[in-house]
Amino acid sequence: MAEIIGKYTVELYAQENSISRQSALNKLSGLKKKGFVKVSGGGKQKRIYTLYKRPVREPNGFYSIVNKYAKIKLTPEFEHYIYGRYTVEDAIIDGLKIDNARTKIAVSNLFRHITDWTYLMHKAKGNNLLERLHEYYEYAKKSTKCKRMPKRYMKESIKND
Amino acid sequence: MINTSEQEELLKLIANFMKTDIEAVAIGGTAMMFSNYKNATKDIDIVFKDVEDRDVFIDAIKQLGYIEKSLSDIYDEKRQQNPAKPLMFSRSDERFDLFVSSVFGFKINFSQDAVLQKYDFLGKSRLTLNVPVKEVLILLKAITGRETDFEDIVTILKAENNVSWDSITKQAIGYKESLPWILIDLEECMQKLGKLFDIDDTYFKRLYDAHGD
Repeated sequence: MAEIIGKYTVELYAQENSISRQSALNKLSGLKKKGFVKVSGGGKQKRIYTLYKRPVREPNGFYSIVNKYAKIKLTPEFEHYIYGRYTVEDAIIDGLKIDNARTKIAVSNLFRHITDWTYLMHKAKGNNLLERLHEYYEYAKKSTKCKRMPKRYMKESIKND
Repeated sequence: MINTSEQEELLKLIANFMKTDIEAVAIGGTAMMFSNYKNATKDIDIVFKDVEDRDVFIDAIKQLGYIEKSLSDIYDEKRQQNPAKPLMFSRSDERFDLFVSSVFGFKINFSQDAVLQKYDFLGKSRLTLNVPVKEVLILLKAITGRETDFEDIVTILKAENNVSWDSITKQAIGYKESLPWILIDLEECMQKLGKLFDIDDTYFKRLYDAHGD
C-alpha cells in the first residue's frame, strides 16, 4: 500500500492548509476521485480522510474473497488485484498454492460456496494440486458444513493419490 | 507509450490468447505503473520462470501482431552481449522486453515472500504478474541503464521516504562475484541520486569495501 501522508478530519485539513471548511471538502473530494484519499466513517461517525502519497486501489483478489466468507480472517501477505472474473474456485486454488495452516482453515470455508466443481478440478489438475485439494476438502468436510464433491471427482482424486 | 488502463486491457487480451496459465514477475515501468508511481511507459518488462512460459507468452503476442526486434537501439553493447538479455517484441509504440529467470544475470526471486503485489489477468488462461518490492525495482533500474531508468528511480524516491538502501546495497554485494559490474553501476547511479536525495555515506563505503577500493 502507498505511503500515508496523514489522517485528517475536514476541519483539521482546512486548518493545516489555511483554507475554509468548504474548500477543504472540495479539495479532499477531488483527491478522492484521483485515488489519493480513502474515507472512513460517515453518518453518526466523524469522517476520517486518509491521504496517500500516490493513488491507492482497493485489492479485490484472494484475500477479499476469503475474508468475506471465512470465520477466521487472514492478513494479506500481498496486495492482490484481479482483472476479469475471479471466483471462489480460483480463490481455493490460490489458497492451495499459499498452503499454510491459517490459510487452510480459512479456505475450508470456501468449499461451501463452490458452484463449478468441473472448473475447480480442471484448475487443480493443471497446477498439480489435485492431491492437496483432496486433503483440503477432507479437512473442510470435518470442520465446516460444506458442499459434497461429486463422486466422479472423488474417484479422480483418489486415483491420483 | 502505453498508459495504465491500456496496459491492463492489453494484458487481459493476451491472457485470452495464451494456451496455458503463466506466473511471471513484472519489473521496470510496468511494475511502476502497477504500483501507481507513474501512468505511462514505453516498454513492458516481464521476467518468466522458464523458457517454456516465455514461449507461451510469445505465441500469444505473435498472434496479436507483435514482431521480434533487435536490442541494438535500446541496450548498450555490454548488455547486448549478456547471455541473460531479453527478447524484444514490438507493435507500433508498445514494446515487450521478455527475460527468463534473471535480468542480465540478476536472479529474480519467484517465491511468495518476495511478492508485494499480485495482478491476475483472467481470460481463457490466467496471466499472473507479481510485483517485487521497491528496493528490487530500484536496483534493477540501476543496472539496466537505459535512458529513462534514472528518472524512474527519482520518481520512486520522491514518492517513498522509506527506501532501504541497506537492502539495495546488500543485494548488490551478494551479486558481486557473478556480476562484477553491478557495484560500479549502482555506485554511479547512487552518486547521481546523491545530488537530489540524502543517501548515507555508509552505503557508499559499503560498496567501496565490497569492491576492494
